[in-house]
Amino acid sequence: MTYDVRATTPAEHLAYVDAQRAASFLQTPAWGQVKAEWRRESIGWFRAGSDEQVGAALVLYRQLPKVKRYLAYLPEGPLLDWTTDDLGALLRPLAAHLKAQGAFGVRIGPPVVTRRWDAAAIKAGIADPACRRLGDLAPTDRDAAGARVVSQLTELGWRPQAVEGGFAAGQPRHVFQVPLRHPDGTARTEDQVLAGMNQLWRRNIKKAAKAGVAVRQAQGPIGDADLKAFHDLYVHTAARDHFTPRPLGYFRTMVDALGAESPDRLRLWFAHHEGDLVAATIAIRVGAHAWYSYGASSTDKRDVRGSNAVQWAMLQDALAAGADVYDLRGITDTLDADDPHAGLIQFKVGTGGEAVEYAGEWDLPLHRPLYKAFTVYMSRRG
Amino acid sequence: MGLTLTVDGPRWRDHLRAYADAAPGLVPVVKGNGYGFTPGRLARRSEWLGVDTIAVGTYEELPEVASRFDGSLLVLTPWRPFLPDLDPALASRVIHTVGRVDDVDALLTRQPGARMVLELLTSMRRHGFAPRGLWEAAGHLRRHPGARLEGLALHLPLAQGSHLGEVRRHLNDAVGAGLDGLDTVWVSHLTRDELTTLRSSYADFTIRPRAGTDLWLGDRGALSVTATVLDVHEVDRGDSFGYRGRTVPKSGHLLVVSGGTAHGIGLEAPMGDSSIKARASTLARGGLDAVGFVRSPFSIDGKQRLFAEPPHMQASMLFLPAGARVPDVGDQIDVRVRYTATTFDTITVS
Repeated sequence: MTYDVRATTPAEHLAYVDAQRAASFLQTPAWGQVKAEWRRESIGWFRAGSDEQVGAALVLYRQLPKVKRYLAYLPEGPLLDWTTDDLGALLRPLAAHLKAQGAFGVRIGPPVVTRRWDAAAIKAGIADPACRRLGDLAPTDRDAAGARVVSQLTELGWRPQAVEGGFAAGQPRHVFQVPLRHPDGTARTEDQVLAGMNQLWRRNIKKAAKAGVAVRQAQGPIGDADLKAFHDLYVHTAARDHFTPRPLGYFRTMVDALGAESPDRLRLWFAHHEGDLVAATIAIRVGAHAWYSYGASSTDKRDVRGSNAVQWAMLQDALAAGADVYDLRGITDTLDADDPHAGLIQFKVGTGGEAVEYAGEWDLPLHRPLYKAFTVYMSRRG
Repeated sequence: MGLTLTVDGPRWRDHLRAYADAAPGLVPVVKGNGYGFTPGRLARRSEWLGVDTIAVGTYEELPEVASRFDGSLLVLTPWRPFLPDLDPALASRVIHTVGRVDDVDALLTRQPGARMVLELLTSMRRHGFAPRGLWEAAGHLRRHPGARLEGLALHLPLAQGSHLGEVRRHLNDAVGAGLDGLDTVWVSHLTRDELTTLRSSYADFTIRPRAGTDLWLGDRGALSVTATVLDVHEVDRGDSFGYRGRTVPKSGHLLVVSGGTAHGIGLEAPMGDSSIKARASTLARGGLDAVGFVRSPFSIDGKQRLFAEPPHMQASMLFLPAGARVPDVGDQIDVRVRYTATTFDTITVS
């Protein structure tokens, strides 16, 4: 089977995304508007000589300093049939198309899972001092389809990118997810999801309800007042937890772009206690995949457990929407109890979900000298 | 009283025991000349060690070990359709190594319940499946419900940096093949640390290290090799001797000692050492050759002596210049040998 890759309109791209069970929100046309500093292009795969679309991607062209050549970046994409045994047939026309667009290299992030660790395994790993990283711990499940993708990418000359560093640090390879379906495909109930959480989580959710924490959501066109309320709390959180906040304008663009694509693509969630905002989050959903994307919490009134209340509300909402998975996004792979990041993983483990490893990001050099220059530049910058 | 391998039994057995204890799942390799000890002896020693499986190199080697060891017998050379059928008495004990898609069907047609390990092509490029071949093999195996998949085999090169990256890549390929019941990996040439790391990240697999040299020859101090002085002749400069009627360059003694080509003495077997120093010493030996005499592996009082002429089939002739202590007939002198290429007349284990 041979395929053609060509540029499509954002509308065709969106139609393809909407027809899928799930896709990364980083592969929606709207995400290209959020990353406005890079040239963007929607592309599609078509069976050779026909209009039957079998894949789609958002390409972000990131320019090499001083040269009109680009790294073509497909974050958490492309959206393809990754179970094929002939990945080369899909990736070769992609490379040819991107090269014609001036790319010196391609970076993809196949949305395929290679390994999973359930909450019990991670808990045991954190307790074991000999176990420092997720990779030291035998997974609860190894995914054959994911392993095949890795084998094929290696065979096709793609290069795995290190988890640390890289272009804008790349997308996280390890994420934490709460499955919302049983292995047989039937949906889990709220009670079942709740029962999977650890005691602390359940207690905190109950505590918030008892204290009278009120959770509400804003969806569709989101007003300035709501966005400002979220952002103020987020800036407060950044100061407390020592990270650099993104400006209000970034969220304005994100909320507008994603919101315009679909009314339930993005929601803001707020938890109030006696009129005070104690927690606020952004949730995103594409098809059956729901994400907890950004979160903020007040320093006062931590004992009313607004964060747990808002998480539980988002989980319930994802269940009600028929989602397959509730995704808490990136975790580092550390299991070292002394590492400050271990706290984050412990918080997420409390949801009773699983750590999921994706195939990671892979590069294909298209112009070797420029690609080499780029990697040298990135390693110096890093 | 020929070429003799003397083994300090307690010391050797202590080493074997310690090695096996530190390497759970150990598969002793008992092939070729049995690392000098003979395969039969090593098979019995493996039985004593209590392992459940040993590895032989070829199907031809099976009879010698099968009667001395009761467990499973892994054959390292991949099975091929041109091989004769197995002795039915051994069929259930032998684990075949398979490395080609066609051989999966051919073997299982001949022996429907065959036990097998699938070998992956490593950077050695010797035998084995490429990843896609393994995917195909998995499909074939599913069509033979009687087949017993005993694991995956990796034959790695000697360490040049870490092997772990390569092992991970092969294991990923194997996971990708979706082989039903794959839970064991047979590997060679991994260091202790590498094995420990592997056991932790692949705790869902049983790791079975194969070991030959490091196991049997790992404590060289427990082993000594000696030859017997068979005859001694005093010679003067200009005296002729030997098959080719060479003349003696200066006065001294000719020694006839046990150990010749039949034992593997005098073969220029590569020492597996490619350092500059080793290459320089090869050059130096070549220099001696130009003068007429070649350094021999025999040494007397710690000094390596020269061959007076190329080794004979069962004995060698050495030249001992005047002034050196002359051993008596019946004395034992030391010999440095390559164990995997030497056949001893006598092996004494204390």
